[in-house]
Amino acid sequence: MTMPTLRGPHRADLRLHRTALWTGGAVLALTLAYIGWLRWAAHAYPESEGDCSAAEPCDTFLGFSSARGLLYLSLERGAVLLLLLPLLIGVFVAGPMVAREMESGVYKLSWSQSVSPARWLAAKLTTAAALAVGGTLFLMAVLRLGGSDVIGVRWNLHWADRGVYEATGPALVAYALFAVALGTLIGFAVRRTLVAMAATGLVTGVVLWGMGNLRWHLVPVKTVGGPASDKDHFPPFRLDSFSMDQGVTNATGERFYAWQCVPKPQSGFSCPTDTKITTWYMDYHPRSHFWYTQLIETGIVLALAAAATYAAFRLLRRRTP
Amino acid sequence: MTDTAIEARALTKRHGRRRALHDCSFRLPVGRICAVVGPNGAGKSTLLALAAGLDRPTEGTLTVLGTGPAQARARVAYVAQDKPLHPRLTIAETLRLGAELNPGRWDMAVAERVVGGSGLDPRARVRTLSGGQRTRVALALALGKRAELLLLDEPMADLDPLARHQLMGTLMAEAAEHGTTVVMSSHIVGELADSCDHLLLVSGGRIRLGGGIDDLVAAHALVTGARPPADLAPHTVIESRATGRGVTALIRPEGPPGDGWEVEEPSLEELLLAHLRSPDAPPLLTPGTTASGRSGVAA
Repeated sequence: MTMPTLRGPHRADLRLHRTALWTGGAVLALTLAYIGWLRWAAHAYPESEGDCSAAEPCDTFLGFSSARGLLYLSLERGAVLLLLLPLLIGVFVAGPMVAREMESGVYKLSWSQSVSPARWLAAKLTTAAALAVGGTLFLMAVLRLGGSDVIGVRWNLHWADRGVYEATGPALVAYALFAVALGTLIGFAVRRTLVAMAATGLVTGVVLWGMGNLRWHLVPVKTVGGPASDKDHFPPFRLDSFSMDQGVTNATGERFYAWQCVPKPQSGFSCPTDTKITTWYMDYHPRSHFWYTQLIETGIVLALAAAATYAAFRLLRRRTP
Repeated sequence: MTDTAIEARALTKRHGRRRALHDCSFRLPVGRICAVVGPNGAGKSTLLALAAGLDRPTEGTLTVLGTGPAQARARVAYVAQDKPLHPRLTIAETLRLGAELNPGRWDMAVAERVVGGSGLDPRARVRTLSGGQRTRVALALALGKRAELLLLDEPMADLDPLARHQLMGTLMAEAAEHGTTVVMSSHIVGELADSCDHLLLVSGGRIRLGGGIDDLVAAHALVTGARPPADLAPHTVIESRATGRGVTALIRPEGPPGDGWEVEEPSLEELLLAHLRSPDAPPLLTPGTTASGRSGVAA
């Protein structure tokens, strides 16, 4: 690979990790080819019309009900797999890129050239960040390409689903950057390849999981309600909203679980026997909250990434003259 | 330009609780070929790593080529003891790495000459090389950098005698041509004696001897005589032992030893071994090799 515009430590990093670079590029290309091909197949081999019967069996596609079915299944699984991308990025930066160089002592070679340790670390950070952002944006584009008409609206590709949510906004890019910064910090601090990889994967995973829960508490929920009766006490189902909590209330507005109180209060639960249900309610995030939560979450994750970067350089300054 | 390659003042380095260097002060003038000699674990590697800017001192100051080790980085080349190299690069790629990371300084012809001398295939991957071949590539990187100060940690340990002779010849020719200061460490006393004109003896994290080799040897005398050791009291006795003909002692004479003493010039090896066996002997730094400013240990 020739990169005539890149010089010095950046180019050195690319050359040192060219196997990983080629592998990553090949995975991206294969993903694009696979989704593109399914998208084409879904168009070229539409589902059979009418009901299926023994006399007239449905067409199948490679054992799946249809090419469209396989496409949607791939998108569902793919969106969840995209959550592993920051983990993968962090683990690679922490282990092979930083900690292995520290552990094997090759950093002594790097630091005794005409490049300062700070520039050495900055080159690793920026090279990895550029590739991580590029790769993440590419896969996000592939997801869009595969499901431009269904993502966010189809039941199993709901806009608030884990995976789909991150991969359809800037959050996933922020996580990729966070993983690079965290991997650099841990790799440099720990200086043991395997330990650094494990620790980075763990911390990245915990942050992804924690933020996944926290994000829905960053923006106040909206509440809808309506008169409830013994028979009809469920909120109307709306695909574009993300329900946080739902149930029934009595005349004073006290909230109860519907199944504990309706049709009549059950013993052993918080619903008193004399409860009279008057309304149903639902706390939910409308789809318009998507960008608020995305931007706040992205901000938090980028702040964490900046903190990790700062800590890595501070540590470097403490160790070197 | 400064005439001082390395100057240490009260230099101390602790690794955790272990003290690798303790209150070291010395000065190394430019243009010298300096051997840093001492037993394993004496602090030689720590000293070189500090000078190369890989680590920071716990206490004290270290000046390299008139500035801090970090600022001097581009003008200093360093080969660590374990000869670290990227195992998956080929030799040619390793040298290209040197060119890219040392813009404006790199001399590919010199680097290729050092590698080429042994018929190594430039397309060979570093991980397939033997210890001696790795040393050759590491030295090629250091020499290709065209540094003003070469810091080599146990450079010859992995080399067979022929390669050692050849590489030392190349090294000395390059150093002589460009006036490079070379600092080489070794725990084998004889290994560097022929090539070096300057010496630092390090043991127990302290500088025991420092200065030109000829000056250091001239400052000592090996005396033998059938007389009581108390007769040597005016001189600094480094080591004395009873022999068949009375007493043999290595001293720093403070004048003529007097009658009844047979005086010889000690060999460098005798000088070093006597100091290593007598850790309480006072250190000696010859004039011009003591640190300026705050005085450290000086003769």
